Amino acid sequence: MGSLCKLLNNLNIRNTFSLPNNPIYRRTISCTTVKYDLMEFFDDKKNWGAQEVKSGRSWKKEELRLKSNTDLHKLWYVLLKERNMLLTMEQEAKDQTRLFPNPERLDKVEDSMKHLEAVVRERNVAYHQLETGETGERPGKLETGPFGLKFFYRMCEYPVPKHMNKKWHETHQFYKSNRDTEQFLLKYREKLYLNKRRKRTRDFNHVIGLLNRFPDLDMEALKEQYPDVDIEKAKASRKYGGHFAPK
Amino acid sequence: MSTRWYPIYQKGGPQLRVFLPNFWMKLVRPTYEQPPNVVQFACSMEMTKHDVKNYLEKIYNIKCIDIRTRIHMPKTRRDPGKGYIIKDDDIKFSYVVLPKGQTFQFPDLFPETEDIKQDHDKALDERKRDIKDSWRKNKHRPNMPGWFTA
Repeated sequence: MGSLCKLLNNLNIRNTFSLPNNPIYRRTISCTTVKYDLMEFFDDKKNWGAQEVKSGRSWKKEELRLKSNTDLHKLWYVLLKERNMLLTMEQEAKDQTRLFPNPERLDKVEDSMKHLEAVVRERNVAYHQLETGETGERPGKLETGPFGLKFFYRMCEYPVPKHMNKKWHETHQFYKSNRDTEQFLLKYREKLYLNKRRKRTRDFNHVIGLLNRFPDLDMEALKEQYPDVDIEKAKASRKYGGHFAPK
Repeated sequence: MSTRWYPIYQKGGPQLRVFLPNFWMKLVRPTYEQPPNVVQFACSMEMTKHDVKNYLEKIYNIKCIDIRTRIHMPKTRRDPGKGYIIKDDDIKFSYVVLPKGQTFQFPDLFPETEDIKQDHDKALDERKRDIKDSWRKNKHRPNMPGWFTA
């Protein structure tokens, strides 16, 4: 075993690019049957009408990061076909008012696809950063809408230059100061402020209530959960201490 | 590419390629009776005829002669309690014509096995017996609600 490892190491050092052609690395037996048919849209025949279909877990990001781009590309199509199969089976079960066994399989496939796409995206960003110094993601910026509220504007390409693009100017309106919007913003901000103040008061009173009800409370946990509340001030409040007759 | 954000095509530019298609297609039982070589699919709303053709030929290796698509609008109905109108999502159906000589029959995915049938019959018999029991018990007090047991 040791000598084999050494041999592999030597091979690795000498010529990395000849490795895949080496017979040691080639998989000789493949048990997967390749089927190209409409029946790929359906589950295995033994699972038809089954009450339970066992399945493994979804692919994790860490596992997918180890895979090559080609492998990920192949896996995407495997997942895509699996999802189509599950959707077909689910629809048929729904139409026949029968039980679709283990519906979490669909979630698992969707999760795997989401993770795979995230990993490909990471690689894409890394490649773009290296080559161009930019992320290569869809550009966007923070804009102010017609009512003065901020939103993230995702930019895209247009065949017409911006100053000539009448349609764009009709459909995309941004903030322009006028009396109505100012009035709206004033009231909107007031509402936000009041909500914030009410929350502060509510939390303060709630902390006093907690202190009254549970005298030996874990102060650290309390501070962590209500960071905005001044606990010393809460203890100084006349609501603290409850109702009792002085001695 | 992976951001699902594609540059617009300009004349002479490179052809756009989709490496990770996220379209879905499901094979459904035909809504109306179809010739034996026509298969009905429900697919993503964004798919065109060309997309369906490429999808089936490249991913599933299914040859198709002709493809027709339609968008099905489901019937609206009223909420039983509040009375507001409910409409389900639209569905895009595509009808794929297979080459000459090929036919497709939608398989029976829920075969009636003997033990399932027996379970069903057993449950039905029990239910019948329970009802007959309740009739016998309440023979002398007609029109009494079921919850009244005293």
